[in-house]
Amino acid sequence: MHKYLKNKVAIIVFTLPALVVFSIIVFYPIIQTFYKSMFDWNGLGKGTFIFLDNYVRLLGDRLFYTSLRNGLIFAAVLVILQIGIGTFLALAVSDVTLKGRSFLRVTYFIPVVLSITVVCQLWLSIYNEELGLINKLMEQLGLSYRQHWLSSEKGAIYAIAVVNAWQYMGYHFALIFAAVKSLPEQYFEAARIDGAGKIKAHLNITIPLLYETYKFCLILAITGGLNAFANMFIMTNGGPGDATYTLTFLMYRSAFRVNEFGYGCAAAAVLVIECLLATIIINKLFGREQITY
Amino acid sequence: MKLIKSKISRIIYQTFLWIYSLISLYPLVWMVFYSLKNNDEIFVTNPFGFPTNFRIENYINAWSRYNVPRYFINSLFVAFVTVLGTIILSVMFAYAAARLKWRLKDVARIYITLGMFIPVQVIMIPLAILVRDLHLNNTYLSLIIPYIAFNLSFSTIVFYGFFRTIPYELEESGYIDGASIYYTFFYIILPTIKPALATMIIFVFLSSWNEFTMALILISKESLKTLPLGLLFFQGEFTTDWGAMGAAMTIASFPTILIYLLFSEQVENALTVGSSVKG
Repeated sequence: MHKYLKNKVAIIVFTLPALVVFSIIVFYPIIQTFYKSMFDWNGLGKGTFIFLDNYVRLLGDRLFYTSLRNGLIFAAVLVILQIGIGTFLALAVSDVTLKGRSFLRVTYFIPVVLSITVVCQLWLSIYNEELGLINKLMEQLGLSYRQHWLSSEKGAIYAIAVVNAWQYMGYHFALIFAAVKSLPEQYFEAARIDGAGKIKAHLNITIPLLYETYKFCLILAITGGLNAFANMFIMTNGGPGDATYTLTFLMYRSAFRVNEFGYGCAAAAVLVIECLLATIIINKLFGREQITY
Repeated sequence: MKLIKSKISRIIYQTFLWIYSLISLYPLVWMVFYSLKNNDEIFVTNPFGFPTNFRIENYINAWSRYNVPRYFINSLFVAFVTVLGTIILSVMFAYAAARLKWRLKDVARIYITLGMFIPVQVIMIPLAILVRDLHLNNTYLSLIIPYIAFNLSFSTIVFYGFFRTIPYELEESGYIDGASIYYTFFYIILPTIKPALATMIIFVFLSSWNEFTMALILISKESLKTLPLGLLFFQGEFTTDWGAMGAAMTIASFPTILIYLLFSEQVENALTVGSSVKG
Protein backbone atom coordinates (compact mmCIF):
# COMPACT_ATOMS: atom_id res chain seq x y z
CA MET A 1 0.00 0.00 0.00
CA HIS A 2 2.78 2.37 0.93
CA LYS A 3 4.47 1.66 -2.36
CA TYR A 4 1.16 2.19 -4.13
CA LEU A 5 1.11 5.82 -2.99
CA LYS A 6 4.76 6.33 -3.83
CA ASN A 7 4.35 5.57 -7.53
CA LYS A 8 6.88 7.98 -9.06
CA VAL A 9 5.45 7.91 -12.57
CA ALA A 10 1.97 8.66 -11.26
CA ILE A 11 3.27 11.56 -9.19
CA ILE A 12 4.89 13.08 -12.26
CA VAL A 13 1.83 12.52 -14.43
CA PHE A 14 -0.40 14.17 -11.82
CA THR A 15 1.72 17.17 -10.95
CA LEU A 16 3.83 18.07 -13.96
CA PRO A 17 1.13 19.67 -16.17
CA ALA A 18 -0.01 22.06 -13.43
CA LEU A 19 3.55 22.90 -12.40
CA VAL A 20 4.65 23.62 -15.96
CA VAL A 21 1.67 25.82 -16.83
CA PHE A 22 1.90 27.74 -13.57
CA SER A 23 5.65 28.25 -13.82
CA ILE A 24 5.56 29.57 -17.38
CA ILE A 25 2.46 31.74 -17.16
CA VAL A 26 2.56 33.06 -13.59
CA PHE A 27 5.91 32.54 -11.91
CA TYR A 28 8.30 33.41 -14.71
CA PRO A 29 6.49 36.68 -15.58
CA ILE A 30 6.63 37.84 -11.94
CA ILE A 31 10.40 37.48 -11.95
CA GLN A 32 10.47 39.23 -15.32
CA THR A 33 8.43 42.16 -14.02
CA PHE A 34 10.96 42.86 -11.28
CA TYR A 35 13.95 42.17 -13.50
CA LYS A 36 12.77 44.28 -16.43
CA SER A 37 11.81 47.15 -14.14
CA MET A 38 15.54 47.89 -14.07
CA PHE A 39 15.80 48.24 -17.84
CA ASP A 40 15.15 50.92 -20.38
CA TRP A 41 13.16 48.58 -22.58
CA ASN A 42 10.73 49.13 -25.44
CA GLY A 43 9.46 45.55 -25.50
CA LEU A 44 11.78 44.49 -28.29
CA GLY A 45 15.20 42.97 -27.71
CA LYS A 46 16.98 43.13 -24.40
CA GLY A 47 16.93 46.82 -23.51
CA THR A 48 19.62 48.60 -21.52
CA PHE A 49 20.24 48.05 -17.85
CA ILE A 50 19.64 51.27 -15.92
CA PHE A 51 19.26 49.79 -12.41
CA LEU A 52 16.85 51.92 -10.35
CA ASP A 53 16.41 54.81 -12.77
CA ASN A 54 12.83 53.83 -13.59
CA TYR A 55 11.95 54.02 -9.90
CA VAL A 56 13.68 57.37 -9.52
CA ARG A 57 11.74 58.64 -12.52
CA LEU A 58 8.52 57.27 -11.02
CA LEU A 59 9.13 59.23 -7.82
CA GLY A 60 9.42 62.40 -9.87
CA ASP A 61 6.36 61.67 -12.00
CA ARG A 62 3.28 63.73 -11.20
CA LEU A 63 1.10 60.93 -12.56
CA PHE A 64 2.56 58.55 -9.99
CA TYR A 65 1.20 60.66 -7.15
CA THR A 66 -2.15 61.11 -8.84
CA SER A 67 -2.27 57.32 -9.19
CA LEU A 68 -1.35 56.68 -5.58
CA ARG A 69 -3.95 59.14 -4.34
CA ASN A 70 -6.65 57.68 -6.58
CA GLY A 71 -5.78 54.16 -5.44
CA LEU A 72 -6.25 55.23 -1.83
CA ILE A 73 -9.50 57.06 -2.56
CA PHE A 74 -10.81 54.05 -4.44
CA ALA A 75 -9.85 51.73 -1.58
CA ALA A 76 -11.47 54.02 1.01
CA VAL A 77 -14.74 54.25 -0.92
CA LEU A 78 -14.84 50.46 -1.30
CA VAL A 79 -14.15 49.88 2.39
CA ILE A 80 -16.81 52.34 3.54
CA LEU A 81 -19.55 51.39 1.08
CA GLN A 82 -18.97 47.68 0.60
CA ILE A 83 -18.09 46.67 4.13
CA GLY A 84 -20.33 49.27 5.79
CA ILE A 85 -23.47 48.56 3.79
CA GLY A 86 -22.58 44.87 3.56
CA THR A 87 -22.44 44.58 7.34
CA PHE A 88 -25.72 46.37 7.88
CA LEU A 89 -27.57 44.33 5.28
CA ALA A 90 -26.05 41.00 6.35
CA LEU A 91 -26.98 41.52 10.00
CA ALA A 92 -30.49 42.63 9.08
CA VAL A 93 -31.11 39.76 6.66
CA SER A 94 -29.79 37.18 9.15
CA ASP A 95 -32.90 37.90 11.21
CA VAL A 96 -35.11 34.90 10.39
CA THR A 97 -38.34 36.77 11.11
CA LEU A 98 -37.68 39.23 8.31
CA LYS A 99 -40.16 39.03 5.44
CA GLY A 100 -38.81 38.56 1.90
CA ARG A 101 -35.28 37.82 3.02
CA SER A 102 -34.42 35.38 0.22
CA PHE A 103 -35.60 37.90 -2.36
CA LEU A 104 -33.50 40.60 -0.75
CA ARG A 105 -30.44 38.35 -0.73
CA VAL A 106 -30.77 37.62 -4.43
CA THR A 107 -31.14 41.30 -5.34
CA TYR A 108 -28.09 42.26 -3.29
CA PHE A 109 -25.93 39.64 -4.93
CA ILE A 110 -26.99 39.82 -8.58
CA PRO A 111 -24.62 42.61 -9.73
CA VAL A 112 -21.65 40.44 -8.66
CA VAL A 113 -22.22 37.94 -11.48
CA LEU A 114 -22.28 40.60 -14.21
CA SER A 115 -19.34 41.37 -16.44
CA ILE A 116 -17.46 44.53 -15.55
CA THR A 117 -17.95 45.82 -19.11
CA VAL A 118 -21.71 45.57 -18.81
CA VAL A 119 -21.68 47.26 -15.41
CA CYS A 120 -19.49 50.11 -16.61
CA GLN A 121 -21.47 50.68 -19.80
CA LEU A 122 -24.66 50.60 -17.82
CA TRP A 123 -23.34 53.22 -15.41
CA LEU A 124 -22.06 55.32 -18.29
CA SER A 125 -25.65 55.59 -19.37
CA ILE A 126 -26.81 56.18 -15.81
CA TYR A 127 -24.29 59.03 -15.41
CA ASN A 128 -24.91 60.43 -18.91
CA GLU A 129 -25.29 64.18 -18.56
CA GLU A 130 -28.20 64.74 -20.93
CA LEU A 131 -30.01 61.44 -20.95
CA GLY A 132 -28.79 59.53 -17.92
CA LEU A 133 -30.93 58.02 -15.23
CA ILE A 134 -29.71 60.18 -12.38
CA ASN A 135 -30.03 63.55 -14.09
CA LYS A 136 -33.38 62.55 -15.58
CA LEU A 137 -34.57 61.58 -12.16
CA MET A 138 -33.51 64.96 -10.78
CA GLU A 139 -35.36 66.63 -13.62
CA GLN A 140 -38.47 64.62 -12.85
CA LEU A 141 -38.30 65.67 -9.23
CA GLY A 142 -38.12 69.25 -10.37
CA LEU A 143 -34.57 69.76 -9.16
CA SER A 144 -32.16 71.69 -11.31
CA TYR A 145 -29.32 69.61 -9.90
CA ARG A 146 -27.41 68.52 -12.96
CA GLN A 147 -24.04 66.95 -12.35
CA HIS A 148 -21.22 66.30 -14.74
CA TRP A 149 -20.49 63.06 -12.95
CA LEU A 150 -17.59 61.76 -14.97
CA SER A 151 -16.19 64.93 -16.45
CA SER A 152 -15.47 66.61 -13.14
CA GLU A 153 -11.78 66.48 -12.26
CA LYS A 154 -12.43 66.12 -8.55
CA GLY A 155 -15.53 63.96 -8.59
CA ALA A 156 -14.83 61.46 -11.36
CA ILE A 157 -12.75 59.09 -9.24
CA TYR A 158 -15.53 58.91 -6.62
CA ALA A 159 -18.16 58.35 -9.29
CA ILE A 160 -16.12 55.44 -10.66
CA ALA A 161 -15.42 53.97 -7.23
CA VAL A 162 -19.15 54.00 -6.47
CA VAL A 163 -19.74 51.85 -9.56
CA ASN A 164 -17.26 49.26 -8.34
CA ALA A 165 -18.74 49.45 -4.85
CA TRP A 166 -22.22 48.95 -6.28
CA GLN A 167 -21.16 45.88 -8.24
CA TYR A 168 -19.27 44.07 -5.48
CA MET A 169 -21.16 45.12 -2.37
CA GLY A 170 -23.09 41.86 -2.73
CA TYR A 171 -19.88 39.91 -2.48
CA HIS A 172 -19.01 41.38 0.89
CA PHE A 173 -22.62 40.99 1.92
CA ALA A 174 -22.46 37.26 1.11
CA LEU A 175 -19.17 36.81 2.97
CA ILE A 176 -20.43 38.53 6.11
CA PHE A 177 -23.82 36.85 5.89
CA ALA A 178 -22.23 33.38 5.66
CA ALA A 179 -20.05 34.18 8.68
CA VAL A 180 -22.99 35.42 10.76
CA LYS A 181 -24.94 32.28 9.95
CA SER A 182 -22.08 30.10 11.16
CA LEU A 183 -22.01 31.72 14.61
CA PRO A 184 -23.38 29.58 17.44
CA GLU A 185 -26.90 30.56 18.49
CA GLN A 186 -26.13 30.71 22.23
CA TYR A 187 -24.30 34.00 21.90
CA PHE A 188 -27.45 35.73 20.79
CA GLU A 189 -29.50 33.96 23.45
CA ALA A 190 -27.13 35.21 26.09
CA ALA A 191 -27.45 38.73 24.78
CA ARG A 192 -31.22 38.46 24.69
CA ILE A 193 -31.35 37.24 28.29
CA ASP A 194 -29.16 40.14 29.30
CA GLY A 195 -31.74 42.36 27.69
CA ALA A 196 -29.30 43.90 25.26
CA GLY A 197 -30.89 45.68 22.31
CA LYS A 198 -30.35 44.37 18.83
CA ILE A 199 -27.89 47.02 17.73
CA LYS A 200 -25.95 46.78 20.96
CA ALA A 201 -25.83 42.99 20.74
CA HIS A 202 -24.49 43.15 17.22
CA LEU A 203 -21.92 45.81 18.02
CA ASN A 204 -20.64 44.06 21.11
CA ILE A 205 -21.00 40.42 20.17
CA THR A 206 -21.54 39.68 16.49
CA ILE A 207 -19.10 42.09 14.89
CA PRO A 208 -16.11 41.20 17.10
CA LEU A 209 -16.76 37.51 16.42
CA LEU A 210 -16.57 38.12 12.68
CA TYR A 211 -13.05 39.35 12.91
CA GLU A 212 -11.53 36.80 10.51
CA THR A 213 -14.14 37.69 7.91
CA TYR A 214 -13.51 41.40 8.31
CA LYS A 215 -9.81 40.87 7.88
CA PHE A 216 -10.48 39.16 4.58
CA CYS A 217 -13.00 41.78 3.45
CA LEU A 218 -10.55 44.56 4.25
CA ILE A 219 -7.71 42.94 2.34
CA LEU A 220 -10.05 42.38 -0.58
CA ALA A 221 -11.45 45.91 -0.64
CA ILE A 222 -8.12 47.66 -0.16
CA THR A 223 -6.07 45.64 -2.63
CA GLY A 224 -9.04 45.80 -5.00
CA GLY A 225 -8.98 49.59 -4.74
CA LEU A 226 -5.24 49.85 -5.24
CA ASN A 227 -5.43 47.53 -8.25
CA ALA A 228 -8.37 49.30 -9.89
CA PHE A 229 -8.12 49.48 -13.64
CA ALA A 230 -11.00 48.18 -15.75
CA ASN A 231 -13.48 50.66 -14.30
CA MET A 232 -11.50 53.72 -15.31
CA PHE A 233 -10.33 52.19 -18.54
CA ILE A 234 -13.91 51.72 -19.70
CA MET A 235 -15.56 54.75 -18.13
CA THR A 236 -13.09 57.63 -18.40
CA ASN A 237 -9.92 56.30 -20.00
CA GLY A 238 -7.96 57.92 -17.20
CA GLY A 239 -9.57 61.30 -17.77
CA PRO A 240 -10.70 64.01 -17.60
CA GLY A 241 -7.08 64.93 -18.29
CA ASP A 242 -5.34 62.42 -16.08
CA ALA A 243 -7.62 62.77 -13.08
CA THR A 244 -8.56 59.10 -12.80
CA TYR A 245 -5.17 57.46 -13.30
CA THR A 246 -4.28 54.52 -11.09
CA LEU A 247 -1.04 52.57 -10.90
CA THR A 248 -2.35 49.84 -13.17
CA PHE A 249 -3.57 52.42 -15.61
CA LEU A 250 -0.14 54.05 -15.54
CA MET A 251 1.43 50.66 -16.18
CA TYR A 252 -0.96 49.95 -19.02
CA ARG A 253 -0.38 53.30 -20.67
CA SER A 254 3.41 53.14 -20.31
CA ALA A 255 3.69 49.69 -21.81
CA PHE A 256 0.93 49.43 -24.37
CA ARG A 257 0.49 53.00 -25.52
CA VAL A 258 3.94 54.57 -25.42
CA ASN A 259 6.13 51.46 -25.51
CA GLU A 260 7.98 52.14 -22.26
CA PHE A 261 7.85 48.57 -21.05
CA GLY A 262 10.58 48.94 -18.43
CA TYR A 263 8.83 51.92 -16.86
CA GLY A 264 5.55 50.01 -16.88
CA CYS A 265 7.23 47.10 -15.09
CA ALA A 266 8.47 49.48 -12.40
CA ALA A 267 4.90 50.71 -11.86
CA ALA A 268 3.74 47.08 -11.62
CA ALA A 269 6.50 46.30 -9.11
CA VAL A 270 5.45 49.24 -6.93
CA LEU A 271 1.89 47.94 -7.10
CA VAL A 272 2.97 44.52 -5.76
CA ILE A 273 4.85 46.15 -2.92
CA GLU A 274 1.86 48.37 -2.13
CA CYS A 275 -0.55 45.42 -1.99
CA LEU A 276 1.90 43.39 0.07
CA LEU A 277 2.30 46.25 2.52
CA ALA A 278 -1.45 46.71 2.83
CA THR A 279 -1.88 42.99 3.52
CA ILE A 280 0.87 42.95 6.14
CA ILE A 281 -0.52 46.03 7.89
CA ILE A 282 -4.03 44.61 8.00
CA ASN A 283 -2.72 41.31 9.34
CA LYS A 284 -0.75 43.19 12.02
CA LEU A 285 -3.76 45.28 13.02
CA PHE A 286 -5.89 42.18 13.31
CA GLY A 287 -3.04 40.19 14.76
CA ARG A 288 -4.44 39.67 18.21
CA GLU A 289 -5.34 36.25 19.52
CA GLN A 290 -7.74 34.05 17.60
CA ILE A 291 -11.25 33.93 18.93
CA THR A 292 -12.41 30.38 19.53
CA TYR A 293 -15.88 29.20 20.22
CA MET B 1 -43.17 53.47 24.91
CA LYS B 2 -40.22 51.18 24.44
CA LEU B 3 -42.34 48.96 22.20
CA ILE B 4 -43.34 51.84 19.95
CA LYS B 5 -39.77 52.97 19.69
CA SER B 6 -38.56 49.54 18.65
CA LYS B 7 -41.38 49.28 16.14
CA ILE B 8 -40.43 52.56 14.54
CA SER B 9 -36.76 51.65 14.34
CA ARG B 10 -37.76 48.34 12.78
CA ILE B 11 -39.75 50.10 10.10
CA ILE B 12 -36.87 52.46 9.38
CA TYR B 13 -34.31 49.76 8.91
CA GLN B 14 -36.62 47.56 6.89
CA THR B 15 -37.25 50.50 4.60
CA PHE B 16 -33.54 50.83 4.13
CA LEU B 17 -33.29 47.13 3.19
CA TRP B 18 -35.85 47.56 0.44
CA ILE B 19 -34.36 50.83 -0.78
CA TYR B 20 -30.98 49.21 -1.16
CA SER B 21 -32.61 46.30 -2.93
CA LEU B 22 -34.02 48.83 -5.39
CA ILE B 23 -30.61 50.50 -5.84
CA SER B 24 -29.07 47.13 -6.52
CA LEU B 25 -31.70 45.86 -8.91
CA TYR B 26 -33.26 48.84 -10.64
CA PRO B 27 -30.28 49.75 -12.87
CA LEU B 28 -30.51 46.25 -14.32
CA VAL B 29 -34.25 46.43 -14.76
CA TRP B 30 -33.79 49.83 -16.38
CA MET B 31 -31.27 48.26 -18.79
CA VAL B 32 -33.66 45.48 -19.75
CA PHE B 33 -36.45 48.05 -20.15
CA TYR B 34 -34.49 50.26 -22.49
CA SER B 35 -33.34 47.26 -24.49
CA LEU B 36 -37.01 47.01 -25.48
CA LYS B 37 -37.62 50.69 -26.25
CA ASN B 38 -36.75 53.07 -29.07
CA ASN B 39 -34.76 56.25 -28.49
CA ASP B 40 -37.85 58.41 -28.34
CA GLU B 41 -39.24 56.37 -25.49
CA ILE B 42 -35.91 56.09 -23.64
CA PHE B 43 -35.09 59.77 -23.76
CA VAL B 44 -38.39 61.60 -23.81
CA THR B 45 -41.67 59.88 -23.36
CA ASN B 46 -40.94 57.04 -20.95
CA PRO B 47 -37.43 56.97 -19.52
CA PHE B 48 -38.13 55.02 -16.33
CA GLY B 49 -41.06 52.71 -16.75
CA PHE B 50 -42.12 49.52 -18.40
CA PRO B 51 -41.77 49.55 -22.22
CA THR B 52 -45.08 50.35 -23.92
CA ASN B 53 -44.55 48.00 -26.81
CA PHE B 54 -41.77 45.45 -26.82
CA ARG B 55 -39.26 46.33 -29.52
CA ILE B 56 -37.74 42.94 -30.08
CA GLU B 57 -36.04 44.38 -33.17
CA ASN B 58 -33.36 45.81 -30.86
CA TYR B 59 -32.32 42.25 -30.12
CA ILE B 60 -32.47 41.28 -33.77
CA ASN B 61 -30.32 44.32 -34.59
CA ALA B 62 -27.74 43.62 -31.88
CA TRP B 63 -27.58 40.00 -32.94
CA SER B 64 -27.48 40.39 -36.72
CA ARG B 65 -25.88 43.76 -37.44
CA TYR B 66 -23.06 43.58 -34.95
CA ASN B 67 -20.66 40.86 -33.94
CA VAL B 68 -22.56 39.76 -30.86
CA PRO B 69 -23.02 36.10 -31.92
CA ARG B 70 -19.30 35.82 -32.62
CA TYR B 71 -18.41 37.26 -29.19
CA PHE B 72 -20.94 35.02 -27.54
CA ILE B 73 -19.56 31.87 -29.13
CA ASN B 74 -15.98 32.93 -28.31
CA SER B 75 -16.89 33.52 -24.67
CA LEU B 76 -18.62 30.18 -24.50
CA PHE B 77 -15.73 28.32 -26.11
CA VAL B 78 -13.04 30.00 -24.02
CA ALA B 79 -14.99 29.45 -20.81
CA PHE B 80 -15.67 25.81 -21.66
CA VAL B 81 -12.04 24.92 -22.40
CA THR B 82 -10.82 26.96 -19.42
CA VAL B 83 -13.15 25.08 -17.08
CA LEU B 84 -12.06 21.75 -18.50
CA GLY B 85 -8.35 22.53 -18.37
CA THR B 86 -8.41 24.11 -14.92
CA ILE B 87 -10.40 21.31 -13.33
CA ILE B 88 -8.30 18.52 -14.86
CA LEU B 89 -4.93 20.06 -14.00
CA SER B 90 -5.84 21.20 -10.50
CA VAL B 91 -7.70 18.08 -9.45
CA MET B 92 -4.76 15.90 -10.50
CA PHE B 93 -2.23 18.14 -8.80
CA ALA B 94 -4.29 18.48 -5.64
CA TYR B 95 -4.69 14.71 -5.47
CA ALA B 96 -0.95 14.09 -5.68
CA ALA B 97 -0.27 16.83 -3.13
CA ALA B 98 -2.87 15.60 -0.66
CA ARG B 99 -2.70 11.81 -0.96
CA LEU B 100 0.45 10.53 -2.63
CA LYS B 101 3.73 10.23 -0.78
CA TRP B 102 6.65 12.27 -2.10
CA ARG B 103 9.25 14.48 -0.60
CA LEU B 104 8.56 17.94 -2.05
CA LYS B 105 4.78 17.83 -1.94
CA ASP B 106 4.36 20.65 0.58
CA VAL B 107 6.82 22.90 -1.21
CA ALA B 108 5.07 22.25 -4.53
CA ARG B 109 1.67 22.97 -3.06
CA ILE B 110 2.74 26.22 -1.44
CA TYR B 111 4.41 27.24 -4.70
CA ILE B 112 1.16 26.82 -6.64
CA THR B 113 -0.79 28.53 -3.85
CA LEU B 114 1.32 31.67 -4.25
CA GLY B 115 -0.68 32.45 -7.36
CA MET B 116 -3.62 33.46 -5.16
CA PHE B 117 -1.79 36.53 -4.00
CA ILE B 118 -0.63 37.79 -7.37
CA PRO B 119 -2.82 40.44 -8.98
CA VAL B 120 -3.13 39.80 -12.73
CA GLN B 121 -1.93 43.31 -13.55
CA VAL B 122 1.48 42.58 -12.13
CA ILE B 123 2.43 40.04 -14.77
CA MET B 124 0.57 41.67 -17.66
CA ILE B 125 3.60 43.10 -19.46
CA PRO B 126 5.84 40.01 -19.41
CA LEU B 127 2.82 37.86 -20.25
CA ALA B 128 2.03 39.94 -23.32
CA ILE B 129 5.66 39.66 -24.45
CA LEU B 130 5.70 35.92 -23.75
CA VAL B 131 2.55 35.35 -25.77
CA ARG B 132 4.08 37.34 -28.61
CA ASP B 133 7.37 35.41 -28.48
CA LEU B 134 5.57 32.06 -28.47
CA HIS B 135 3.64 33.24 -31.56
CA LEU B 136 0.36 32.71 -29.77
CA ASN B 137 -0.78 36.25 -30.60
CA ASN B 138 -4.44 36.34 -31.45
CA THR B 139 -5.26 32.70 -30.89
CA TYR B 140 -7.75 31.17 -28.51
CA LEU B 141 -4.86 29.57 -26.68
CA SER B 142 -3.35 32.96 -25.82
CA LEU B 143 -6.39 33.52 -23.65
CA ILE B 144 -7.18 30.01 -22.49
CA ILE B 145 -3.74 29.07 -21.14
CA PRO B 146 -3.38 32.18 -18.94
CA TYR B 147 -6.96 31.73 -17.71
CA ILE B 148 -6.14 28.16 -16.71
CA ALA B 149 -2.88 29.21 -15.05
CA PHE B 150 -4.63 31.92 -13.05
CA ASN B 151 -7.44 29.71 -11.88
CA LEU B 152 -5.12 26.86 -10.89
CA SER B 153 -4.04 28.18 -7.49
CA PHE B 154 -7.48 28.67 -6.12
CA SER B 155 -9.03 25.45 -7.36
CA THR B 156 -6.00 23.49 -6.20
CA ILE B 157 -6.53 24.79 -2.66
CA VAL B 158 -10.21 23.93 -2.71
CA PHE B 159 -9.65 20.40 -4.02
CA TYR B 160 -6.72 19.87 -1.66
CA GLY B 161 -8.99 20.68 1.27
CA PHE B 162 -11.54 18.13 0.10
CA PHE B 163 -8.99 15.39 -0.57
CA ARG B 164 -7.64 15.73 2.96
CA THR B 165 -10.99 14.79 4.43
CA ILE B 166 -11.51 11.40 2.78
CA PRO B 167 -10.20 8.19 4.40
CA TYR B 168 -7.26 6.23 3.03
CA GLU B 169 -9.43 3.08 2.97
CA LEU B 170 -10.58 4.24 -0.46
CA GLU B 171 -7.12 3.82 -1.96
CA GLU B 172 -6.65 0.63 0.00
CA SER B 173 -9.73 -0.93 -1.52
CA GLY B 174 -8.46 -0.07 -4.99
CA TYR B 175 -5.04 -1.46 -4.12
CA ILE B 176 -6.48 -4.74 -2.84
CA ASP B 177 -8.61 -5.11 -5.97
CA GLY B 178 -5.42 -4.74 -7.99
CA ALA B 179 -6.55 -1.56 -9.72
CA SER B 180 -3.94 0.92 -10.97
CA ILE B 181 -3.57 4.21 -9.12
CA TYR B 182 -5.10 6.00 -12.12
CA TYR B 183 -8.14 3.78 -12.04
CA THR B 184 -8.51 4.27 -8.31
CA PHE B 185 -8.20 8.04 -8.71
CA PHE B 186 -10.70 8.27 -11.51
CA TYR B 187 -13.37 5.78 -10.43
CA ILE B 188 -13.10 5.70 -6.64
CA ILE B 189 -11.71 9.03 -5.46
CA LEU B 190 -13.18 11.53 -7.92
CA PRO B 191 -16.83 10.57 -7.32
CA THR B 192 -16.41 11.42 -3.65
CA ILE B 193 -15.61 15.07 -4.36
CA LYS B 194 -18.50 15.78 -6.71
CA PRO B 195 -19.79 18.76 -4.69
CA ALA B 196 -16.38 20.43 -4.87
CA LEU B 197 -16.26 19.78 -8.61
CA ALA B 198 -19.64 21.43 -9.11
CA THR B 199 -18.60 24.44 -7.05
CA MET B 200 -15.37 24.92 -8.94
CA ILE B 201 -16.97 24.47 -12.37
CA ILE B 202 -19.34 27.33 -11.57
CA PHE B 203 -16.55 29.47 -10.17
CA VAL B 204 -14.18 29.03 -13.10
CA PHE B 205 -16.97 29.49 -15.62
CA LEU B 206 -18.07 32.80 -14.12
CA SER B 207 -14.55 34.14 -13.77
CA SER B 208 -13.67 33.22 -17.34
CA TRP B 209 -16.93 34.51 -18.81
CA ASN B 210 -16.48 37.91 -17.17
CA GLU B 211 -12.70 38.33 -17.43
CA PHE B 212 -11.72 41.65 -18.95
CA THR B 213 -8.14 42.81 -18.31
CA MET B 214 -6.22 39.89 -19.80
CA ALA B 215 -8.53 39.76 -22.80
CA LEU B 216 -7.93 43.45 -23.42
CA ILE B 217 -4.19 43.00 -23.57
CA LEU B 218 -3.94 39.62 -25.29
CA ILE B 219 -6.66 39.82 -27.95
CA SER B 220 -6.97 42.45 -30.65
CA LYS B 221 -8.47 40.45 -33.51
CA GLU B 222 -12.16 41.14 -33.94
CA SER B 223 -13.08 37.51 -34.65
CA LEU B 224 -11.52 36.30 -31.37
CA LYS B 225 -12.98 38.83 -28.96
CA THR B 226 -14.99 37.62 -26.02
CA LEU B 227 -18.12 39.45 -24.86
CA PRO B 228 -16.54 41.72 -22.22
CA LEU B 229 -14.06 42.94 -24.82
CA GLY B 230 -16.42 43.02 -27.78
CA LEU B 231 -19.10 45.02 -26.01
CA LEU B 232 -16.52 47.62 -25.17
CA PHE B 233 -15.51 48.46 -28.67
CA PHE B 234 -18.88 48.99 -30.17
CA GLN B 235 -19.81 51.51 -27.57
CA GLY B 236 -18.80 54.24 -30.02
CA GLU B 237 -21.08 52.96 -32.74
CA PHE B 238 -23.91 52.44 -30.33
CA THR B 239 -24.04 55.75 -28.56
CA THR B 240 -26.96 56.77 -30.75
CA ASP B 241 -28.70 53.44 -30.54
CA TRP B 242 -29.29 52.75 -26.86
CA GLY B 243 -31.89 50.10 -27.54
CA ALA B 244 -29.45 47.83 -29.35
CA MET B 245 -26.74 48.55 -26.79
CA GLY B 246 -29.11 47.53 -24.02
CA ALA B 247 -30.03 44.42 -25.93
CA ALA B 248 -26.38 43.40 -26.40
CA MET B 249 -25.69 43.95 -22.71
CA THR B 250 -28.73 41.94 -21.72
CA ILE B 251 -27.62 39.09 -23.98
CA ALA B 252 -24.14 39.15 -22.42
CA SER B 253 -25.53 39.06 -18.89
CA PHE B 254 -28.18 36.45 -19.48
CA PRO B 255 -26.04 33.29 -18.99
CA THR B 256 -24.49 34.32 -15.68
CA ILE B 257 -27.74 35.65 -14.25
CA LEU B 258 -29.48 32.45 -15.27
CA ILE B 259 -26.78 30.34 -13.61
CA TYR B 260 -27.09 32.45 -10.50
CA LEU B 261 -30.88 32.21 -10.33
CA LEU B 262 -30.78 28.45 -10.87
CA PHE B 263 -27.96 27.69 -8.44
CA SER B 264 -27.88 30.76 -6.18
CA GLU B 265 -26.73 28.82 -3.14
CA GLN B 266 -23.86 27.14 -5.00
CA VAL B 267 -22.80 30.34 -6.76
CA GLU B 268 -22.56 32.22 -3.47
CA ASN B 269 -20.61 29.31 -1.99
CA ALA B 270 -18.35 29.12 -5.02
CA LEU B 271 -17.54 32.80 -4.95
CA THR B 272 -17.10 33.10 -1.21
CA VAL B 273 -15.28 29.84 -0.57
CA GLY B 274 -12.04 31.76 -1.04
CA SER B 275 -12.47 33.66 2.21
CA SER B 276 -11.54 30.62 4.25
CA VAL B 277 -8.23 30.16 2.48
CA LYS B 278 -7.19 33.59 1.29
CA GLY B 279 -7.19 35.55 4.55
